[in-house]
Amino acid sequence: MENSVAINTKNLGRIYKIRNNRKEKFKELLALENVDLSIKKGELFGLLGPNGAGKTTLIKILTTLLSPTTGIATVAGFDVEKSPDEVRKRINMVSGGETSGYGLLTVRENLWMFAQFYGIESKVANDRIKRLSEIVGISDRLNTKSSDLSTGLRQKMNIIRGFITDPQVLFLDEPTLGLDVGASRDVRTFIKKWMNDNGERTLLLTTHYMVEADELCDRVAIINQGKVLACDTPSNLKKTLQKEAIFNINLYAPSGLEINKFKNITGVKNCVLSQKPESTTLDIILDEDSVLSEIITEISQQSLRILRLEKREPSLEDVFIKLVGQKIEEA
Amino acid sequence: MRNSISLRSFISASWLGWKIESNWTDPFLFATYSIIKPLASAGILVIMYSIVTDQNFNNPMFAYLYLGNAFYQYVPAVLSGISWTIIDDREHYRTLKYIYIAPVNIPLYLFGRGVAKFLTGSFAVIITLLAGFLFLKVPFDFQQVNWLLFVVSLILGILMLALLGLLLAGITLITARHSYYIGDVVASGLFLFTGAIFPLEVLPVWIRPIGYALPITYWLELLRRSLVGNIAKTFPTFTSMSNLDLILVLLLTSLIAGLIAIFLFNKCNHSARERGLIDVATNY
Amino acid sequence: MALVEPISKKRSGLKLFIMTVFGRSYPRLVGMQRERSWIFFDIFVPLLSVSAYVFVYRAIGAPEDYVGFVVVGGAMTAFWMNILWNMSSQLYWEKEQGNLALYIISPASMMAILLGMALGGLFATLLRAIAIMIFGSLIFNVSYYVVSFWQLIAIFSLSMIALYGLGMMSASIFLLLSREAWHISNLATEPVYLLSGMYFPVKNLGFWGSAFGSLIPLTLGLDAIRQLIFKSGPSLGFLSVKIEIISLIILSIIYLIAAKFLLAHIEKLAMREGRLTENRR
Repeated sequence: MENSVAINTKNLGRIYKIRNNRKEKFKELLALENVDLSIKKGELFGLLGPNGAGKTTLIKILTTLLSPTTGIATVAGFDVEKSPDEVRKRINMVSGGETSGYGLLTVRENLWMFAQFYGIESKVANDRIKRLSEIVGISDRLNTKSSDLSTGLRQKMNIIRGFITDPQVLFLDEPTLGLDVGASRDVRTFIKKWMNDNGERTLLLTTHYMVEADELCDRVAIINQGKVLACDTPSNLKKTLQKEAIFNINLYAPSGLEINKFKNITGVKNCVLSQKPESTTLDIILDEDSVLSEIITEISQQSLRILRLEKREPSLEDVFIKLVGQKIEEA
Repeated sequence: MRNSISLRSFISASWLGWKIESNWTDPFLFATYSIIKPLASAGILVIMYSIVTDQNFNNPMFAYLYLGNAFYQYVPAVLSGISWTIIDDREHYRTLKYIYIAPVNIPLYLFGRGVAKFLTGSFAVIITLLAGFLFLKVPFDFQQVNWLLFVVSLILGILMLALLGLLLAGITLITARHSYYIGDVVASGLFLFTGAIFPLEVLPVWIRPIGYALPITYWLELLRRSLVGNIAKTFPTFTSMSNLDLILVLLLTSLIAGLIAIFLFNKCNHSARERGLIDVATNY
Repeated sequence: MALVEPISKKRSGLKLFIMTVFGRSYPRLVGMQRERSWIFFDIFVPLLSVSAYVFVYRAIGAPEDYVGFVVVGGAMTAFWMNILWNMSSQLYWEKEQGNLALYIISPASMMAILLGMALGGLFATLLRAIAIMIFGSLIFNVSYYVVSFWQLIAIFSLSMIALYGLGMMSASIFLLLSREAWHISNLATEPVYLLSGMYFPVKNLGFWGSAFGSLIPLTLGLDAIRQLIFKSGPSLGFLSVKIEIISLIILSIIYLIAAKFLLAHIEKLAMREGRLTENRR
């Protein structure tokens, strides 16, 4: 194993056996399939996918909580199945919306307790709690019982819990879930600084917020239905769409529209409809600009009215639409 | 409208309680679990008795303690069934807040959630009684049983226990989740005072008034009288009282206990809202 | 300047084990301090419950030493309760609350976590046991006749080691359990009181019954303690104190080793089946 690789997976797969009630036979649910990933030390790597794509399953496997059904995974050079103890010395994890910790303990006490499980001396732990709470913005709430915290503050406490142990590899599973815009921005800024501080640190982040992935990650893997569909830097992923023309068309369509007629036009790679009470929007990826005229013809045939038409640069969202066929929140 | 809310609260909570209580395993395993605990609990008393009396199961004392213990199983079952719902919904399922904001009658919802435990408790009582009648010479004569008295006493007693359960639910609302079931613990404590397994005369004089103040004491006596009247008569505690007297005292003490329970539940309920404890997680 | 200085040294091995035990016992100790309703329900009420069994013996005219048997049995129950509710089934709550996953991914040993939970609860347990012993003895005039103080200490210590070993062993099973955890815990109350002779000399279960009951270290510990502190104890004892000490040593070793093995094994099994983080409720 190369020393420069922090996380490596080969043919990684996981099948869950589930049933709805005791009388039913177990059904197999494929959560991950042949996942090959190689994440370098120092990388901030993003896993991008909709709910149920397999992101959390992958994190569970990498954090030694779940065994893979097929393939192997190594973290910090150690096999997660064969040497979980070695892996555990080097990792930590924070999940969005988690309810861990003890309600009757204060924030400081909860954090101190978790630091003990990593062999961090009390003085060091307390110094770090103080420093990290200042950075994350809960230093004034350290003596509040965690049962009295709001969702956002609780999540900030969890984030500190993940960073306090100074892990070589940190897993953040939807870390900004439940945080407001400002707090999410603070967390993203902190993550960036944390990574810049030390080139040895590796961070795997799962998210379904495209902007978060785009802003933070060195590389991104797009995952859907257990499969990795693409893996590259955000800019390279976006470049794959540079040949195509991406349009965002705002329409007046009081009685709806027939989306399939747009999809069937030759040269339309993908077409996604978003309907909100105030507007109807078509996100269209075309082979080339010239196809636009046929789109406009179809719009007038369906008696729709264009309110706004915009050609824009490709975003990760467009990459996702191209690969999965729908927007992340609809997938 | 009010009636329909109350009825719906009770019925849907009963259904929910039963689903939670029973659907984790197959019926056979469920029955096994439900049988072993009560039989072991009776077994302890049977062995204690048989060691000292050289297995003299014909003595009325044995029937007294056996039947008292058998029916007493309703006490922890109903008290826990109702009061534990607060912990279960608040800290485990985290749904208590949603129950509170729904158009639900909370006490009736809690009673409904207790129904499942009442049913499993009934199963335990029946099994214990059957074991006693079949294997341990506990006297039972179908013809001699005063069924009307039995049914009336049983129903009154269960209602009384439900109200006591509500009181404990109130206390649970303002306390943390500890490692024990408050209903079981309180039931095990009251075991001492209610003449369940020995006549009240055995207790020191200064403790007896507690027993006389508790409706459970009269309830157990009524159940014994209705099932095995001649055995109950051999113990002097309530010989001066007729069945009707006992029913009236049971009614009166239950009424007082019920009023206290409702008052305290409302007080705790108010306090829990005031202190923001409805959705608290108190694990430690 | 770095955002946060890197940690130069993290403890491992025995030091980490001790830190973990203390770390996990802390919430229990502090929690009990902050929420004191347990004092009434966990100390005072059990005293009443034990008294009920004393009065049963009084009602049927048992020899006075039996009252002492109940008091000692009631005191020892506290330790079993600690194992059952503060250690084994607590794991179920930890899983539901999301803490179990964090314990597993940490380098801390599961045995240390479990010991921490038990040790944190031990304060209440000791209070309960001592309260039952002192008040029980005073109220019911229990007279003791201690034969060997040292043997008594040895028996008590060995029982505790074996008992907590057994507790950790059974806790491993709770890693796999969801709702059935409640039922298993319930099964381990009255049936265990019966099998371990909590309120009567275990000898009365017959040889094979007592031998089976002796798999629970409480049984032999209790039997030996009764032999060592009551006049009629030796005549009502199951085996001689010496044999019981040897048996407890063997049980301690077996249970501790088995606990370590089982915890590791079941953790692997739970990882394979995805049960460490599941929430079947």
